[in-house]
Amino acid sequence: MLQNVGIVGFGAYIPANRLPVKEVAEFWGKEPKNIEKSLGVIEKAIPDEDEDAVTMGVEAGLAALKMGKVPPEKLEAIYVGSESHPYAVNPSATIIGEALGVGRNYLAADLEFACKAATAGMENLAGLLEADLINYGMVIGSDASQAKPHDALEYTVGAGAAAFILSRKKEKFLVQILDFASYSSDTPDFWRRDGIPYPSHQGRFSGKPAYFVHVTSAAKKLLEKNKMKPADFSYCVFHMPNGKFPLEAALTLGFEKKQLEPGLIVGQIGNPYSASSLLGLCSVLEVAKPNDLIFLTSYGSGAGADSFILKTTKLLNTARKRVSGIKEYLNNRREISYSKYLRLTNKIL
Amino acid sequence: MNSISPVKIWRHQKETSLLLEKEGKIVSWTLVRVPPFGYERQAPYPVVLVELKIGKRMIGQLVDWQENDLKTGRQVKTVYRRIRQPDPEGVIPYGIKFKPI
Amino acid sequence: MKISVLGVGTTKFGELWEVSPRALVKEAVSEALSDANLKLSDIEALYVGNMLSGILGKQENLGALFAEELGIDIPAFKVEGACASGGLAVHNAINSILAGVYRTVLVVGVEKMTDHNPGEVVSALMGAGHDEERLAGMTFPGLYAMLARSYIEKYKTKKEDLAAVAVKNHYHATLNPKAQFQFKVSLDQVLASPSVAEPLRLLDCSPISDGASAIIIAKVNPPAGGQKATRRKNVYITASTVATDTLSLAGRKDLTSLTSAVKAAGKAYKMAGIEPGNIDVAEVHDCFSIAEIIACEDLSFFPKGKAASEIAKGKTTLGQGRPVVNPSGGLKACGHPVGATGVKQIAEIATQLRGEAGLRQVKGAKVGLTHNVGGSGAVAAIHILKNE
Repeated sequence: MLQNVGIVGFGAYIPANRLPVKEVAEFWGKEPKNIEKSLGVIEKAIPDEDEDAVTMGVEAGLAALKMGKVPPEKLEAIYVGSESHPYAVNPSATIIGEALGVGRNYLAADLEFACKAATAGMENLAGLLEADLINYGMVIGSDASQAKPHDALEYTVGAGAAAFILSRKKEKFLVQILDFASYSSDTPDFWRRDGIPYPSHQGRFSGKPAYFVHVTSAAKKLLEKNKMKPADFSYCVFHMPNGKFPLEAALTLGFEKKQLEPGLIVGQIGNPYSASSLLGLCSVLEVAKPNDLIFLTSYGSGAGADSFILKTTKLLNTARKRVSGIKEYLNNRREISYSKYLRLTNKIL
Repeated sequence: MNSISPVKIWRHQKETSLLLEKEGKIVSWTLVRVPPFGYERQAPYPVVLVELKIGKRMIGQLVDWQENDLKTGRQVKTVYRRIRQPDPEGVIPYGIKFKPI
Repeated sequence: MKISVLGVGTTKFGELWEVSPRALVKEAVSEALSDANLKLSDIEALYVGNMLSGILGKQENLGALFAEELGIDIPAFKVEGACASGGLAVHNAINSILAGVYRTVLVVGVEKMTDHNPGEVVSALMGAGHDEERLAGMTFPGLYAMLARSYIEKYKTKKEDLAAVAVKNHYHATLNPKAQFQFKVSLDQVLASPSVAEPLRLLDCSPISDGASAIIIAKVNPPAGGQKATRRKNVYITASTVATDTLSLAGRKDLTSLTSAVKAAGKAYKMAGIEPGNIDVAEVHDCFSIAEIIACEDLSFFPKGKAASEIAKGKTTLGQGRPVVNPSGGLKACGHPVGATGVKQIAEIATQLRGEAGLRQVKGAKVGLTHNVGGSGAVAAIHILKNE
């Protein structure tokens, strides 16, 4: 069990453009209803031409600082997890750090692990905090990923960012991080080679041997270690590549649909990769009550899963009112056509 | 002709953090339909002259806009965006744009 | 102040694919020398007005370049102030004469814009603005569109009145053989032209042009034997003023006026000992229709907010009103080779005051004014001319 790790502020950002699954399906001559049903996704968030993982990370970071009332100079570490870092070499963490006004006295690193890069960052921060090496750190999960036209991923790849400020200052905890566990292996279910614009995947291979094995193994390991069971939790959040996988994982582990629903936002925004499970967490934190236990498990292809046990405090309710929440972002939507999507994502040269 | 110097971007980005999360209102605006070199992808785009509450006036693009946002007096806030698409090998210029609130 | 205009020469303005910058200057200068009945050896200094030779043509050092081209090795200088380069070159030349350093000076304004693709030209012209404006993806039409918006919202100007400027200037240009456009346009055509930067349309905007204009000035009455056989009125410059304002629109106090022009004009009227009402003919900087409207108010031809409707009623049209504004066709219809404009404006007014403007002659013109602006109003140069 961790003693000194908690979340003192968090923020979300979701771009306003929405590409309906219907638009994509009709463009490729497919039946929209079938796809919406099988994927559990109605529309996905698409960034504007001038947005990227860094700009969205800045917006989420600003919200987290505002909620936590943390002066940016107090951040001593920034981790940014993404699979669409704007540069192959040049850290998103320092560009974001500069924009947030963090100063110079911080550790910065970019992480990559498909959709779980940011939760890996969270584990790293937990280590630094528990070891009393830092007092405040920020982790951001942000992605503005691309999908190959006519690929199955075109229906689900979305965009968004979530930022969390972790600290040792118990008196400021909005949520305490009690423990975490990880499960990793070399499993090539989904990958993207350097210089290639779109990811590749191995179809149904990314199901059972990939997502499900890792998610359930990490989850079971953590539950057993802490001698807890699904019924102990008010909420569970799982990485959401589509609307089906997280529900299946939840039920397999023994959670109920009602524990999952408040965090299940994939139907409206698609899968924003490194921000997926963290935005699900933001969504839950907007409705959670004091002393609620939350079970969070992310998944990253390649593959691995990070599981966390979190507990809310009574400070959460006041703090979360300070910034725009997931609900506002979900309502701030602007439907776009497939041709507009091609233009915004620079597929038309 | 048009790649922006990384040093210029660096000097400019130092000021950016001071201008984020600032509110203001539109003093004048236009919708640029014939863009200059480097901005073709974004056109048409609105450019606004904003008076920030902190007393400073600035010119920048308006993002996340609808037609009825294009009016004098409209409340806006500063946001962080790519200034324009960078050259394939160049440093990415980030900076301040405005969003209706 | 009394600086004589001894001779003027202007090339055709337009898309002059076959004419190089050197050839443009040679042509304008030889016309001016011939008009002044002078030789190159009479010239003691050369001032060149130009904005874009470096950024577009990769050529600087224009003073030396054109001195060589003309076959003289006199002191030569380039003066740059965006679209006011020509007016500023004249101002500097005048000062050198007033200071007693040179006696007879040649001023040439020249610009070659059509060698380059329009996107590059639009971008290069924004060198006259502020970095923040460039980063925002602003263009010159965009900057003046913002001024237009403020003006229209303040004074409830009708869009037909805005469009009337182009109609008038195109009409004037049909009477000027050197003008780029030799056709009239109607209000409907202007209003139907494609939108460039709202609310400005294509026909509200001056074109991309090539051209050169030259004047020869001196602080004496025309030298004996230096006049043409026919008796011709002497024309002289009696005021030359410059004022500056902030580079960016964001720094301006008033978005319905160009304070630099107001200041320079105020100083100029005083220097010349006249009132705005004394002006018979004026060449103003109509880079965009709104610019002419604002100019007429900045120059006190009309009260604030009234210029658009007065122009639309013909109060500045040849044969109808007074002062006649832009008898050459202005920047809109005569063309706007940026560095040349300020000099051409003086050449046009001199021609008018001599009574040599042919079909576009403003009858009985005695006092004229030129208004040359750089950027969105960052600098303005005003000249007042009289005849005797």
